[in-house]
Amino acid sequence: MQVYLPIAELSVNLFFLVGIGGAVGFLSGLFGVGGGFLLTPLLIFSGVPTAVAVASVTGQVVAASTSGALSHYRRGGVDLHLALYLVLSGILGAFGGVAAFDLLRKAGQLDLVIAVGFLVLLGSVGVMMLQESVRSLLKRRKGVVVRERLPNQHNWIHGLPWRVRFKKSRLYISVLPVLIIGLFIGFVGSLLGIGGGFIMVPALVYLLRVPGNVVIGTSLAQVVAMMGATTILHAVQSQSVDILLAFCLMVGGVAGAQFGAAAGKHLRGEQLRGLLALLVLAVAIRFGLSLVLTPSDVYSMAVTSIAR
Amino acid sequence: MTRLLACLLILIASTLPIQAERLISGISNDTVQITSSFDGERMTFFGTIAPEVGATDRNLTGPYDVVIVVLGPAQDRVSRLKTNNFGIWLNTEEVQFKRFPSYFHVLSSKRLLDITDIATLNTNFILPEAHAMVPNEAGFMKTLNFGRELIRLMSDEGLFGVQESGVQFMADTFYSAQLILPSNAPPGPYIAQTYVFKDGQIVARRSDGFAVRKMGFERFLALSASQQPLLYGIACVILALFTGWLGGVLFRR
Repeated sequence: MQVYLPIAELSVNLFFLVGIGGAVGFLSGLFGVGGGFLLTPLLIFSGVPTAVAVASVTGQVVAASTSGALSHYRRGGVDLHLALYLVLSGILGAFGGVAAFDLLRKAGQLDLVIAVGFLVLLGSVGVMMLQESVRSLLKRRKGVVVRERLPNQHNWIHGLPWRVRFKKSRLYISVLPVLIIGLFIGFVGSLLGIGGGFIMVPALVYLLRVPGNVVIGTSLAQVVAMMGATTILHAVQSQSVDILLAFCLMVGGVAGAQFGAAAGKHLRGEQLRGLLALLVLAVAIRFGLSLVLTPSDVYSMAVTSIAR
Repeated sequence: MTRLLACLLILIASTLPIQAERLISGISNDTVQITSSFDGERMTFFGTIAPEVGATDRNLTGPYDVVIVVLGPAQDRVSRLKTNNFGIWLNTEEVQFKRFPSYFHVLSSKRLLDITDIATLNTNFILPEAHAMVPNEAGFMKTLNFGRELIRLMSDEGLFGVQESGVQFMADTFYSAQLILPSNAPPGPYIAQTYVFKDGQIVARRSDGFAVRKMGFERFLALSASQQPLLYGIACVILALFTGWLGGVLFRR
């Protein structure tokens, strides 16, 4: 069954859209990530204009993260105070990201920056995650008890000024690193159409030493608020949010995420992280190759304005 | 006075050799409606060649050839070239095409070059390549190259095309042609220009218009996105929050 997308101005098979939404939703439920980093490239690959893909996936990420954020909130796993700081700086970053998105699109370098961005971000995060999970898998095999990092261990970041007390996270830290993380993720997330959960979670754990029970919930709450704001920014700035496309992806994504979360209970944490690392690396390599390999077509075209 | 008379005479004389043919043409639908299930539309162009009103010679002597050019709304497009810079492929060169047709299909009753010469085809913008030869600040050769590639890319998407047996003559003077408008045909005003050729010369021409329009819900969405972007964006977010919440409730983990 074909469905006509009013903003992308092309017709796509409905089951294909709900299907990739569902498949990516399954993975995002399994690994606890938003899935934007998979969905955006998939849509671009299937012919949706890059701008529409990025902007519409932003909307889908909101839906995919909402149910997770709500269930974490009910269990008391969200540090609203910390999330507020992250969201406010994130929205500021998103303003920059959306503006950069628009400029790059006009200059014809959007696809390049998106490819480089995915390569660098996913590549480095993927390598780090893979190292970490392989190390802990090996240790477990040797029978070494893996000790959780203690939240009160300090590093240089805790010596910065303007300290604020975050009760729920049991932290008394400077707001500077919090704001910088928020700004960076807001900028990158809106530029690449990803929620940034896979950057946010390690940043909160390793840089800020946020305890494990509030990390995922806080990150999800931040993603919902920030990507919600980014969706509105994209709608106003580039008018490339396709609500019908986003909705089809949401329906598949929300349903798939539930099954993914159920399946995730059968796997151990290190195994999950290892698999996610491989997935992230595969996407990074795919983007890397697109930069280096001779493209099948050296010419490309774009519509710069529509005369109606 | 004599000069005026002379002018009048010349004027009359110039109109005297009445073009013997005229064209009566029509299109199967004057609006193509894009609804949520839109997946392209088949259109029929038809017409008949008749003697001009008041023509002295009522007999039409063929054979005639018919060429139909279907033109979509103009857009500004850009054609870009990737080059390898220190191992990385980048868009480095580009040519802007102002008011380039978003859709361009030519239907003809036989090979275009058998109908008339290339100069006539180019000056009347019958060949797609004619659009790559319009004056452009990038220079003639570069424009031609990039324009050709643009036309090739658009042909791959079904937006440009030439069907040299697209027009069928049902009788000596009655023709019909079918065209399948693809689902990615941009909405807007379209023009179908029909040319009647005889011995390589255009003897009659006519333009018919039709519109491709988003209808109903699709139209509502597209209009809201462009005219109320803030509300549209907020609606998207509310829809996302609601879908996410509903999913959580339905599957209650």
